[in-house]
Parts: sequence; C-alpha cells; structure tokens
Amino acid sequence: MLDVRGLSAGYQGNDVVHDVSIHVDDGEAVMIIGSNGAGKTTLFRAMCGLLASSAGEVSFQGNDLTGMATHQLVRLGLGFVPAERHLFPRMTVKEHLALGAYPGRPDSDTMNVVLDVFPRLAERRSQRAGTMSGGEQQMLAMARALMARPRLLVLDEPTTGLAPKLAHEAYEALDAMRREGLTILVAEQQVPLAMAFSDRGYVLEDGVISIEGTSEALAADPRVRGAYLGIA
Amino acid sequence: MTGRFSKATGTSVIGGAEQHPSRSMRTVFLLVALVGALLALVPLWLGSSRVMMGVAVLGLAFACYVIAFNLIFGSTGQLFLCVGALAGIGGYGGAILADTVGVPVAVAIALATVGASLTGGLLSWIAVRRSLGVIFTGIVTLIFSLTFENLLLGLGTLTGGESGFLISAGAGTFIRGQIPPYYLMLAMVLSFVIVHGLLRRSHFGWAFRALRDDEVAAELAGVDVARYRVYAAMIGAAMLGLAGATYAFAEGRISPTTFGFAQLDVTVIVMLAFGGIGTLFGPVLGAATFTFLDEVLIDFGRLRLVAYGTLIIALFLWMPRGVIPTVGDLFRRRRNRRQPGSSRGHSTSGPADDPPPLASTEP
Amino acid sequence: MTASILDGIVLGFQFGLLAAGLTLVYGLGGVLHLAYGQMAVISAMVVLFTLDAGVPVVPAVGIGLIAGGLLGLILDLTILRPVYRLQGEARVLLSLLLTLGVAFVVDGFLNWRYPLVGLSLHVGGGPVELLGVPMRRGSLVASGVTLASFLMLFGFLRGTALGRAVRSVIEDEEGARLVGIDPRRMLRIILVMSGVLAAIVAVTRSMVAPVTVTAGFSITVFALIVTVVGGLGSVSGALLAGIILGVVNSIAASYIGTFLSLIILLAAAALTIVLRPAGLLGVRE
Repeated sequence: MLDVRGLSAGYQGNDVVHDVSIHVDDGEAVMIIGSNGAGKTTLFRAMCGLLASSAGEVSFQGNDLTGMATHQLVRLGLGFVPAERHLFPRMTVKEHLALGAYPGRPDSDTMNVVLDVFPRLAERRSQRAGTMSGGEQQMLAMARALMARPRLLVLDEPTTGLAPKLAHEAYEALDAMRREGLTILVAEQQVPLAMAFSDRGYVLEDGVISIEGTSEALAADPRVRGAYLGIA
Repeated sequence: MTGRFSKATGTSVIGGAEQHPSRSMRTVFLLVALVGALLALVPLWLGSSRVMMGVAVLGLAFACYVIAFNLIFGSTGQLFLCVGALAGIGGYGGAILADTVGVPVAVAIALATVGASLTGGLLSWIAVRRSLGVIFTGIVTLIFSLTFENLLLGLGTLTGGESGFLISAGAGTFIRGQIPPYYLMLAMVLSFVIVHGLLRRSHFGWAFRALRDDEVAAELAGVDVARYRVYAAMIGAAMLGLAGATYAFAEGRISPTTFGFAQLDVTVIVMLAFGGIGTLFGPVLGAATFTFLDEVLIDFGRLRLVAYGTLIIALFLWMPRGVIPTVGDLFRRRRNRRQPGSSRGHSTSGPADDPPPLASTEP
Repeated sequence: MTASILDGIVLGFQFGLLAAGLTLVYGLGGVLHLAYGQMAVISAMVVLFTLDAGVPVVPAVGIGLIAGGLLGLILDLTILRPVYRLQGEARVLLSLLLTLGVAFVVDGFLNWRYPLVGLSLHVGGGPVELLGVPMRRGSLVASGVTLASFLMLFGFLRGTALGRAVRSVIEDEEGARLVGIDPRRMLRIILVMSGVLAAIVAVTRSMVAPVTVTAGFSITVFALIVTVVGGLGSVSGALLAGIILGVVNSIAASYIGTFLSLIILLAAAALTIVLRPAGLLGVRE
C-alpha cells in the first residue's frame, strides 16, 4: 500500500534521514523504532509533506506522492497524527472531529464509531482542546485523524508524555481500529508497546534503517534487545 | 529538490547576511578617499545654485541616515521604523536648545545627539527585554514615529506646529553657508562609513554577525545579544541625531515634514535596499541615486510616490540584496565560470545556505 | 459625555470591522497587509463613480463591495505569491514591504489623478434620539450595517464548515494541513473577505463623514492599532478593542484635542505590544 524508496530529508541542506526504504502492506501494523534523535520525526514530516525531501520517492496505492502538499495527501486517504499533535486550542472536541472530516460533512456514523473507541472524548464534546490533559489531547489527535476514514494512519510517537495506563489505552484503541481494517504505521520510542502491537518493524538509527523484520524476529534480535528492550 | 519550507530570518528577505569583512581597513580608507574625492567635486558643478546645494546637502544627510539604519537593521536585525523620529530628536532638539534655551550651536548639536542616542538605546532595550520580534519592534518603533510626529504638531508653542520654525541660531556662520555645510556633511558621511567599517572589524562586528545568523547559538557562545543590540541602536541613533541636528542648522528651518515617517523612513529603506543592506557603500550609492532621481522627478508631484512604490516592489522582488551585492555576485559568477573546477559556494542567499548553526534545532 | 460615548461606539464598530479584516489576514496567513486603507479607498471611489454614472445607491454599494473583494483576490494572485514562499518573520517582512509598495502606487496615483475627491453618502431623514442624544441617521444606519456584518462574520466563522476551516488555520496551520485543509486557499478566501469588509467600512464611514482619497494611510494605521490591541487573529478581539478605542478616541478628542487623542491611541497600541503582545484576545504571538 505504502512504498517509500530511498527517502532522504533534512533541514537547511543537511539530511537527517538517508536513503530510507520501507513499505507497508494492506492491513498491516508496522512500527519504526529508534531512540531520540534517530530521525523518526524528520521521517514522519517528510512522509506527510510538511518537510520537502531531498531524494527518494513515496508512493501510496500506486500514486506517486513525491512533492505533494499535506492537504492533498490527506485527501488521498492518508491520516496523520504528529508527535506535537497540532490541535486547535480554542476549538472544541466536536469542532475538531467535524474538521477531521473536512471537506466532507461530518458523518454521524463515523463520529459514533470514533467516540465509541474514545469514550473519554465523548464525555468532553464541548471542551476546548487547550484545556484538556495530555492523554486526552493525544486521543483527540487520533480521533480527529480517524474522522476522515483514512486507509493508512501514520502516527509519530503517540505515547509521548502519556502515563503508562493511557499509553496502553491508546494502543488498545489503535488495535481496535486495526481490527476494523485500518492499516497503521507508527513511529515509537516505547518499544515494548509497539512491538506487542505491530506485525513488522524497522529500526532507525542515525537516520538510516539498520534492521528490519517481523516483530518476533526483532524481539529475538540481540542488538534490538540490548539497545531498545533493555535486556543484556 | 530544495526545501519547500526554507526558513529565513528577517534580514535575509531584504538582503543576505552582511558581507564578511574581506576588505582590510586600508582598502576601506582608500575607497573612502576615492568616494570622498568624487563627491567633493560636486560643488564645482552645483555650487552656484543655493537650491541645488541644498538638495546636495539633503542627499548627504540621507546618506548618513541610511548608514545609521544599515547599522541598526543590517547588523542586528532591529527593524527601527523611527529613523525620522530619531533624526528629528536631533534636529528639533538641537534647534530648540539653541534658539529657545540659548545654548551654543555646537553644544546644542552634541546634546541633541546624546538625546537621540539614549532614545534609540531605550527603544532597543525595551524590544530586547520584551523579546519583541522583528515585526513588533517595527510596529512599536512605527508607533513611536507617529507619536513623535503628532507631538510636534500638537505642542505648537514649542515646536511651531505644522509650519515648524526658522532657526535663528547659527545664522551668518559657516554652517548656514552655501558651500561649507556640504563639506561638513560630506565629512560626516565619510566618517560614518569609517566607523561602520571599524565596527565590522572589531568584536562588535563579530558579535553582530553571530547574533544575526543564529541568536540562540550566539547566546550559547557567550555573546550578550541584548547588549550588542542596544549598543548598535545607540550608535546608530547617535548618527541619526547628529546628522539630523547638523542638517537642521544647515537648512535654517525645520518642520514636521523634515523628519516625517513618509518622507524619511520610507526613503531610507528604499535607499538601503537599493544600495545593498550590510554593505559599507551601499547607503551612499542609494542616497545618491535617489536624491538624483527625486530631483529629476520633482515636477511629477504625487506621481513620485507611484515611482517609489513601483521601485520598492521591483527591488524586493528581484534584487532583494541591493545593487552592490548583486553586481558583486555577477562579477564573481563570471570569474568562476572562467575557472572550471573552482567551487566558491557563497553567492546568493543568506542564512538558509550558511553552515549549520552551532546549536542543532532538529527535534 | 453621553454623546461622546455614543459617537465613540459608532466609531468603535467601524474600527472593529476594519481591524477584523486585517487581523484575519495576519492571523491566518502571517501576512501584514499595509495596503488595506487603499483598498477601502478604492472601493469608496468605485461606489462614487458608479453613483455618478447614475446607478442607484444600493446597487452602487453592492458594486463597491464586489470591487473590494476583487481587489483582495488580485492582491492574492499577484503580490502575495512570492510572499507565500517564505515562512514566519521573513514572510511578514516581505508582505509588509510589498504591500507598502502597492499602497504607495495606489495612493500616489489616486491623489494625482483625483485629488480632493471623496465619497459621502447622505442618509435622509432627521436625527433620531437615543438615550437623550440626537444621533444622525447616518451614524445609526452605519452602526446597524456594521453590526450586521459582524454578526454575519461570526456566523460564518463559527457556524459553517468553511469558517471552521479558516479558524483552524489561525489556531494551528500545520494542524490544519494535517486535516486536509489548504492554507493557501483559505488565505485567498480571507483576502477576498477582507476586501469586502474594507469596502463595507468605507461605505458606512461615508455615511458619517466623507471618505477622501487621502484617507488611505490613516485608515491602515487605525486598523493596525486596533488589530494589535485586540490581538492578532482574533475577530472578537478586534470588535472589543475597536469599541474601547473608539470610545477612548471620542472622549479624548472632545476633551483634549485631536493630536493628543491620536497619541493616546498610539500609546495604547504600544503598551499592548510591550506588556501583553497577544493583545486582548489574541492567539498568535
């Protein structure tokens, strides 16, 4: 479904990620793990059009996405949940969800489904995003992206700043959506959570993909265990 | 595929980073002498007409204003839209001190210069303390300008209101003459250029470049950004006050339009953008060109505004760095083409192409 | 005193609507539009010439409003193209300079070609009494129209999907992109709207006092002051600041004098920037 080939991107002429190639098939849950500064967010931003790439191609369901603007990507069926969330502080939960469906009318069926997955948001329909806690904001960011019924959801570090219980809840929600047929690509620093959730994964180190494989293979890989799972 | 969202700092919009002082002070002195000699010939051409000499003196005054603005904005990125007001503090301050208070002309000029310098420093200090970005600094200084203009109009008994007043102090002396004020202002222009050149080569210049390229990195490297900004503002404002005061005495009369925002600030920005922000002689070139242009267009009245407006648009769209850097680039490119394999990087844009900052901002 | 306050409120509504256009453009696009006053003046001129051509008042005003919108569109399609390639401060600076250039071209041309020309709309009928003060009908109609415009603007921003989209770009541009909104298109819509708003202000102002060809820059300055005090990007802030400053201006002008009342307004803006840059109800810093 998603095919990234040789992607390089960075800031002010210096590449942070080099020659990254990953792919995500229909219905899969794929993770990208790596420590701080590995380039996960840069990769995310390059894939969602907020950062121009210096080399490489991205194609989605056969369409070449290179050079497209973010809003065009969203129209094609991609959903993005960035690390910084980028919510609208003075707008309510309800307005966020309505915007998520933009340009279409907010479909009440979709809204019900989304609110089922995120019951906390249902309780806070008229609350402004700026007054919500970190965990609630994260949920809202996810819910907003889901309102457009994307075919592929790309998330960047969805559990940053979340208490463990909330992090688990977030992944449970993702799992629920997974079972509904949503394809998911998630960049994550909290490796055990991501590993339990995903089918396959890539390890990003210093801007390059160093290891790739199924979750089981990665869990068994001594390099991964040592560096990311804290197991000697 | 270059970055679609290349971030650029304020000054790079108008012109690139200040040129590195590749010239030694000796070259600067030589150029100053050359330009000075050329300009010294002007009275031979225009000296017989009091009106034309007046225009020439005004042109030199503008050159001083532009050098000052170049120092404040070009070196430290502070958008001071109060050039006219600061020069006005010099002009009106000096005139009022001399005429109403009775202070000798030279002392009046000195005091007015200090007053302008302190005002400039205060504005800069406020902007620094409140971390006002380029735009808010611009708006605050614009407000200061408008307030100053309105004060001039409102405090009629002191300032003569809309019609201004004739300055009696200094009448009959050399400062009110037909030719001497020209040489006085010329000496001022040349010394300002030298001061600018000296500053660039000093630790001031190094600090200025550092804080303009990356403020955070500069702070980390130990540059007290606030202090250098205020210094630059005070020196620039002193220049403005001095030039404004001297011009006032040379002309013999002042009114709010002598130092108004529309008349001064806008013209100064265009002159600097044309000549080349950050350059040493760009201000002189810009002032000379536009003084000449203004004279040529004088019969067109309001249409001159149309010409200025079109020039502003054209300049900032196509030659944002100004004439001198653009011409310099052309020469450099031609020289490089003749030497295959030479890899001079630097030609065009500003901070976007500069080496990465010391402190990485990558998430 | 009551008369001053009421006059101030009438003026305040105008200030507010004027600032609303400017604040939306800045809040959404990070663009400082210094040719705003000239846009208002051109619209007023269009209405004037249409009236002179014999067209009745209401259609003439309508044409003026359309002209305002068109001006916004033209600005977007021409001058703002290079501006949009930049980000942040660089974008604001370039937009400032380019729109200033446009302001000069328009101002210079209009003053050269049509000096001393002004638009004045007379609203018939005698004065109406309000709280014991005889108010000119023109002032009341102007206020009514301005208020109605504000209501429509609020209705648009809060009640429609497009309005929501506009607000989202003001709140967080990247967030808006991530939801499939094209900020560029929103900016174009806002520029057209600001043109229409400027035209409305020009027309309603002309019911109270003549709007002359020379008014361009002072309109922009007033709009800027109110925008800054109200908070960049906030329409409700613009309305609130407009009313406050309108009343302050009116009272100061009758008791102190025009120069000093302008200085008070300027000082208010300066203090806001220094003490509370976000303004009364602002979003962007």
